[in-house]
Amino acid sequence: MSFAWLVLHNVWAKKVRSMLTALAVAVGVLTVVSLGVVTDSIRTTASGVLELAEAEFVVAQEGIGVLDSALTETQLDMVRELPGVDNAVGVLLNTSELGDDYPLLIQIGVRPEDVRPMGVRISAGQEFDADAEDEVMVGIRLAQDLELTPGDSLEIDGEQRTVVGVFNTGSEFGDGAVMFPLVSFQAEQMVPAGLSLFFVQTSGGVAVSEVQQTVEESSPLLTAIRDLVEFGQSDPGFELITAIDQAAMIIAIGIGALVVMNTMLLSLVERYREFGVIRALGWSRRRLVGLVLGEAMVIASVGAGVGVGLGFLTVWILSNLPDLLGVLEPIYEPWIFGRALITAIAVTVLGVMYPALRAARLSPQEAMRRE
Amino acid sequence: MSDQLADDGAEPVIEAVEVRKTFNHGAVVALDGVTFEVAPQEHVAITGPSGCGKSTLLHLLAALDVPDSGTLRVAGEDVARLERPNEFRRERVGLVFQMHNLLPHLDALGNVGIAMFGTSMGRRERTERAQELLDLVGLDGLGHRRPPELSGGERQRVALARALANRPSVLIADEPTGSLDTGSRRLVLQLLERLRVEEGVTLVVVSHDERVLDAADRVIHLRDGRVVDDEGED
Ligand SMILES: Nc1ncnc2c1ncn2[C@@H]1O[C@H](COP(=O)(O)OP(=O)(O)OP(=O)(O)O)[C@@H](O)[C@H]1O
Ligand SMILES: [Mg+2]
Repeated sequence: MSFAWLVLHNVWAKKVRSMLTALAVAVGVLTVVSLGVVTDSIRTTASGVLELAEAEFVVAQEGIGVLDSALTETQLDMVRELPGVDNAVGVLLNTSELGDDYPLLIQIGVRPEDVRPMGVRISAGQEFDADAEDEVMVGIRLAQDLELTPGDSLEIDGEQRTVVGVFNTGSEFGDGAVMFPLVSFQAEQMVPAGLSLFFVQTSGGVAVSEVQQTVEESSPLLTAIRDLVEFGQSDPGFELITAIDQAAMIIAIGIGALVVMNTMLLSLVERYREFGVIRALGWSRRRLVGLVLGEAMVIASVGAGVGVGLGFLTVWILSNLPDLLGVLEPIYEPWIFGRALITAIAVTVLGVMYPALRAARLSPQEAMRRE
Repeated sequence: MSDQLADDGAEPVIEAVEVRKTFNHGAVVALDGVTFEVAPQEHVAITGPSGCGKSTLLHLLAALDVPDSGTLRVAGEDVARLERPNEFRRERVGLVFQMHNLLPHLDALGNVGIAMFGTSMGRRERTERAQELLDLVGLDGLGHRRPPELSGGERQRVALARALANRPSVLIADEPTGSLDTGSRRLVLQLLERLRVEEGVTLVVVSHDERVLDAADRVIHLRDGRVVDDEGED
């Protein structure tokens, strides 16, 4: 009989109790995992905008979500003149839908001559004319999904458009988008000379961060975003999601820990006599706490495993809901497992520490008196 | 027997001097100045009316609690000044409780084996020793039965085997025959005597049972937390 065997035996001897406790851990893990995956996915989907161009950074309107950013051609001209800026391309973004399969369609207004400098490849057909009114280019994913080739027509927002080209950005997000000639798109959106984002390429030999600073200092209305972290900070909507995610993690751990503590306290009260006996037989407090923690860790591992499984299932169901198809492309980052494990351990250790220490504090003969 | 040992000048295994123990901040006086000695390999019985302090005394002997005042030396150690009481309990004394107190979800081997955690014995050694002890108490073949599947007498013998696991110098038993029928009681008593002779343990047994008292070398009578008669002392 080894210590590990005893730990497993004790968990097994109280199957129902152990399962209930594991379930509490699992629910906590499930919450944390599924929210984490969803948050990651939203972050990645939204930040896909940033990957669209071979730009060092993106300029957006300060204090507003990237998709709602409103800038002007005048501002673009101003940014182009700033020291350290080699080139800047302006795009106008809008979101729409394309039937039930594409509840979120990203529309990008762009000048044809800016397409290739942004790092976008044309994989079929060609760019639209600068002043065309009904020509579009579709991303390669969209083209494959809808079996579109140059020359086909496509109805977007009630208007028939001719697909003149298929583009490839290399990003999941970009390849599901549609590009419009900027001028007519601005007219259609009723924002003449309006833009959403500038993609900035810096001159060689200048630190990107310096140029970013130059841009931000040039106008209080501009923010320069370089990576996901800055992206999260620049987007209040995203900050909110992140905050909700973190709050949910804390709440999930809190509730999970309370449930674990509750079951553990009950089960330990049942076991006072047992603990009194083994302490009277010469077990140290440390060994006893080790036993209780060991049992808890076994339960936590089971709970973590089940929770991760249920979490992935939840995300799969969510991402396949008709309303979310294409919006939520689940991203499973490896750290989500770390997060699951941390949650499981936090829930268990928090839940079990008090009952375990209480059991250990009890003197053996006191424990044996308890019935 | 005890007199012979005493004449040999052997150090007493238990030495209690004016031991006092109260509960509830002095409201309950469980032991009120108890003094006695027990020689190595002696078989001592303690008896007295319910509530006179017998179990309390055994708990002190087993270092489960400390006296309020007075000194109590067991197996060469002052039980009030132990650095590691748990090691003392594990290595020096064997304890059989007033109720058998086996762990219900472990089989007989497990119940004996659990007393050997923390010793230098490895897993295999512990299992072998547990088997050997069950053989010793006549339970060979019942090692995989759990307490609910054992009779009262068999359970008490498992508890005895468990108490002997780490070769203690003193075996302390609280009403070991309390709930047993005549046959089982005789078995347990024979076993205790054999353990004393073969394993060389000192026996301190609390009982009301005439036959248990008869089997002892000496009977200490307690009343209201005091020694009122010690038949071995002259
Ligand atoms: N932990 C405790 N708290 C308060 N009082 C206690 C405690 N332990 C024992 N007592 C009291 O101390 C006295 C002696 O108790 P003890 O258990 O030693 O008696 P006993 O001689 O073993 O009795 P019995 O033959 O019924 O087992 C009793 O009055 C009891 O109520
Ligand atoms: Mg008693």
